[in-house]
Amino acid sequence: MLIECKRITKTYRSDNKLLKAVDGASFTADKGDFVVILGHSGSGKTTLLSLVGGLTRPDEGEVLIHNTSNWQQSDQALSVMRNKTIGFIFQFASLIPSLNVLENMALPLCFGHHQHDCTALAYKLLEEIGLADKAKAFPGQLSGGQQRRVAIARAFMNKPEIILADEPTGDLDEETENDILAMFRRYNEQGCTFLVVTHNNELGVSQNNPRTLRMRQGVLHA
Amino acid sequence: MSLAKQLNILDYALQGLWRRRLKTGGIVIIFSAVIFLAASFQFTIKALNNLVDQDLQATPEIIIQKMSAGRQESIPLDYIKKLKGIWGIRRVVPRIWGYYFDATTKANYTVIGLNYKKMPMGGLLDKALIKGSLLPGSGEALVGTGVKEALRLPAKGAMLSLFRPDYSLKALKVSGEFMPSTDILTTDTILMNLADSRDLFGIKPGLVTDLCVYVANPREVTTIARKIAARLPDTRVVPKSQIKETYREVFGWRGGFASICLLTAIAAFIIFAWDKASGMNPDEKREVAILKVIGWQTADILGLRFYEGFIVSFMSFLLGCSLAYAHVSFMGAGLFRPILTGWSVIHPEMVLRPGLEFSDIFLIFSLVVPPYMAATIVPAWRSAIIPPDAAVN
Repeated sequence: MLIECKRITKTYRSDNKLLKAVDGASFTADKGDFVVILGHSGSGKTTLLSLVGGLTRPDEGEVLIHNTSNWQQSDQALSVMRNKTIGFIFQFASLIPSLNVLENMALPLCFGHHQHDCTALAYKLLEEIGLADKAKAFPGQLSGGQQRRVAIARAFMNKPEIILADEPTGDLDEETENDILAMFRRYNEQGCTFLVVTHNNELGVSQNNPRTLRMRQGVLHA
Repeated sequence: MSLAKQLNILDYALQGLWRRRLKTGGIVIIFSAVIFLAASFQFTIKALNNLVDQDLQATPEIIIQKMSAGRQESIPLDYIKKLKGIWGIRRVVPRIWGYYFDATTKANYTVIGLNYKKMPMGGLLDKALIKGSLLPGSGEALVGTGVKEALRLPAKGAMLSLFRPDYSLKALKVSGEFMPSTDILTTDTILMNLADSRDLFGIKPGLVTDLCVYVANPREVTTIARKIAARLPDTRVVPKSQIKETYREVFGWRGGFASICLLTAIAAFIIFAWDKASGMNPDEKREVAILKVIGWQTADILGLRFYEGFIVSFMSFLLGCSLAYAHVSFMGAGLFRPILTGWSVIHPEMVLRPGLEFSDIFLIFSLVVPPYMAATIVPAWRSAIIPPDAAVN
């Protein structure tokens, strides 16, 4: 099994009150799966994604990637896993404002790759999202939608096995949204596993065999 | 893999510093200025000591002065006879060394009367002359560049009129002047023969101010000095090494005092650097979090901060030291020379040549680079442990 979540729970403290963002969530995903998690704002979708990606440590339960528990690994191994296995697409563009598009794209390949290879791959992905002419532009010179597309393309730079996407098409126009979803479908057909959290019921429709889960108040329902 | 990774992190650090070039440049300029001050002092002290060593090469190994009630008084020439039989003494030359206050220029001149024909290396004095290849004869004098400027002596046919103790005037023809390269010792000097100086100061015949002892083997100076002191108990015996040591102590004390002030400035800057590095803005925190999300480890972020700190401090070190070297070599350490050589009406115009010694460079490096790195390590650690989910929220 590629991803296996076992009764993971995450609680935050807010104003001296305990808030269970994720409450005993369990699910699995295998190579080439396209899992859509639907839920309203504040239902715990983003936290669930952080837990799966090893960004946040669960209070209870465990997340296994390739049968290895995330938090039983060293910081180094966890970082390598995030770098090699997972591509993150955040709810916000999450580009580094002082780097241009090409440099932002190349960031995940900083380790052990030659600059030339990084640049060639970055250009290829930028062409896929129609922003090759913006390679030297800084995030501040791009529209919100363009920044989102760059951030999406960056997630594919390491040819990851898993894409974790948080509202990936949230603020994109319809045409761009369709392009991005087509791109997702293409990579999914090549065996890339997607775990997409969204409140958009239509997102799953665009994919081949989506599996939809629902999340309410931190509880995951099949 | 590891080398490529480190090179990529280094590359990212360089790019980051360049992107924040205004902030980086500001820190480098301020830090370089502090290092420049510290290095200038270090180089100037070294250069002054080199100059003293060089200029004292031809001076006598031992000076003998008669003491009475703890004060110096004239020494009889008969004392030379008492030194006969001390093995190793090459020659004893009488000298008159005194100070002449010129009320017009409010300057003290050093008057030296020598029977230089008797000096073993008296001929070397010729090499120190800039003009007039002959040593001064009767009624003639050589002057240092400071004296020439203070008295505004003409290039040719200059005459000196100096007052004897009874206010009668003694006229001397200026037969030459010392080279500027010997300024540290000669700038305020008026050199004449022994008879003229005795006449100028009104010293009785058969007396001089001190005796210069030249020794054949420099290794025996201490032994010979001890023997002289035993034979002439009412004298002060000063070996050349002691004169050198006095200069070193003077420069060292002044330099040390100034260095304490500058170390305070370095410490203040490092506290400032720590303070600046501690306060990360939200963009910087977000950048670290994004880097961690895409696979950077805590150690990589630490490495990044290490490279940034090292580049900033090393650049400042190189810039500060280079400017200090140029300041001492080409500008004669104009900013600090008064502090180190003292204030006077006649100020030596010396050519300083700082010898670049590894120990000095290493000392300056140790005082600036590691403390800067240490001051920024805690803030670097704090930035490195930012949880990656900070990029998500």
